[in-house]
Amino acid sequence: MKYVIAGYVVVLAILFLYAMQLMWRRRRLLRAVARVEASPAGDAARIDADPTPDHR
Amino acid sequence: MSPTPPASAPPDQSPRVRRVTRVIGVTAVVATACTVWLGLWVTPPDVTQGDLVRLVYIHPGVAWVALYLAFGLAAVASLLYLWPRTRSLFWDRLAAAAVEVGVVFNVCTLVSGSIWGKPTWGVWWAWDARLTSTAVLLVLFLGYLALRRVPAEPDVRAKRSAFVALFAAVDVPIVHFSVLWWRTLHQGATVLNPDLTPTIHGSMAWTLLLGFMALTLVFVWMLLVRYRIGVLEDWLGTGELDVALRERRAEGPAVDEDEAA
Amino acid sequence: MWRDTVLVAGKDLRIEARSRVALSQVAPFGIVALVMFAFALGPDRSLMARGAPGLFWVAVLFCTVLAVQRSVSVETVDGAKDGLRLSGLDPAGLFLGKSVAVAAQLVVLELVLGVGVVLLYGAKIEVPWLIAVSCVLGTIGLATTGTLYGALSAGLRVRETLLPFLLLPIAAPVLLAGTRIWQAAMAGGTPADGTPWFRLLVVFDAVYLALGVVVYGPIQESA
Repeated sequence: MKYVIAGYVVVLAILFLYAMQLMWRRRRLLRAVARVEASPAGDAARIDADPTPDHR
Repeated sequence: MSPTPPASAPPDQSPRVRRVTRVIGVTAVVATACTVWLGLWVTPPDVTQGDLVRLVYIHPGVAWVALYLAFGLAAVASLLYLWPRTRSLFWDRLAAAAVEVGVVFNVCTLVSGSIWGKPTWGVWWAWDARLTSTAVLLVLFLGYLALRRVPAEPDVRAKRSAFVALFAAVDVPIVHFSVLWWRTLHQGATVLNPDLTPTIHGSMAWTLLLGFMALTLVFVWMLLVRYRIGVLEDWLGTGELDVALRERRAEGPAVDEDEAA
Repeated sequence: MWRDTVLVAGKDLRIEARSRVALSQVAPFGIVALVMFAFALGPDRSLMARGAPGLFWVAVLFCTVLAVQRSVSVETVDGAKDGLRLSGLDPAGLFLGKSVAVAAQLVVLELVLGVGVVLLYGAKIEVPWLIAVSCVLGTIGLATTGTLYGALSAGLRVRETLLPFLLLPIAAPVLLAGTRIWQAAMAGGTPADGTPWFRLLVVFDAVYLALGVVVYGPIQESA
């Protein structure tokens, strides 16, 4: 039975840790994007913004 | 003429997509928790395998997600990127996300299979067709990820990665069959029974199905988040540079490239 | 396409003939690898003889990586790549030509390594033609996949570390098939022993030849 527990724990742990890492990366990137947008150069960037349908 | 990446459009995500992602995530967690509860406590042990059969609710599920869902998606997306009429960085980013998540599930497959194998066969690893092909698949897609880390223009990187994914996808069936023959045609080899799935019925069947669905939901959620990360990373890759360049130019006399060299 | 094939193959082989890198560096490396294997497997000669087929092919794989690296670097120095593109060569011909050149070098290397394995490990070959055919088929597979992956990783500064990592798993079927055929050759097997493996090698070669011819052009454009 201890093998079963080990199997469940390891797989769930790997998935959990990866999920945490994904969420952490997303949050960090969103903050970086917010920083870039807030800067004065970011306003200039937005003025000549060139939206393409490709960007989702 | 390669399409230039959009430099300045902020990468907003529609609130609907965000909500869907969150719903899928929550559902995935709930489904996984149910699977664990059912698998570990509610379902009965097997006649032949005893409690070890409980791993059947996890192992085939992660394997299915890794080998068919994730890498199949990556292969198809790569093909769609290479096909001129459907070429779009969307497919490239989707493929990259699918491969990364697929690698994680692949590791889960190998680890859970190994943990199941130790009490069943007495060894942590065996060179049977399925295990070996799965290991080769892992290495092939680690190569894909390594290649993607190399800095390059998005469309150059996309094309390169797509080819690697294509070659890997082509190679996997070949490797699988060659390893299968390697085991069975070798005179005097003890053929370990690779089939770990027992005949399943009743509550076990439902739990198995739930397990598959739960892990598929987990995959979908991870794919969505990882794709989003890819979009953000790509935008920042150009966005930050643009902003930095503008700031630099605003500072004073123009930077002369020849002087800087 | 065929004319370009001959042209490119001739060019690469002429460069090799003048610089003799394959002969003076890659072949000795192969021998060194065989010696290292002998140290690793210990003085038990029967163990070495049994391992000889696999060790031969592993050594060949390592030499393939080196030969492909060389084949790629020949194109990327001194703006040779732009010259190549301007020359209007058919990319399929370019692919085949480079593959032929790599294959030719590999055949020579396999001869050297084969002799080495027989001498150093005491491997006794009962059915030599099995070896010959397997080497020819295996070489085609290694040369084509090597050239393809070489093109994929060309121009990357991390190519030296990335290429082996990318190429070797793809080449695994050649290793498996080649080893099995060698074992059959050493055990005095019949032609039937080799058939499934020959079929595997033929399929492998056909797939990567076709892929290479079709795909080499687009790969070159993006490099």
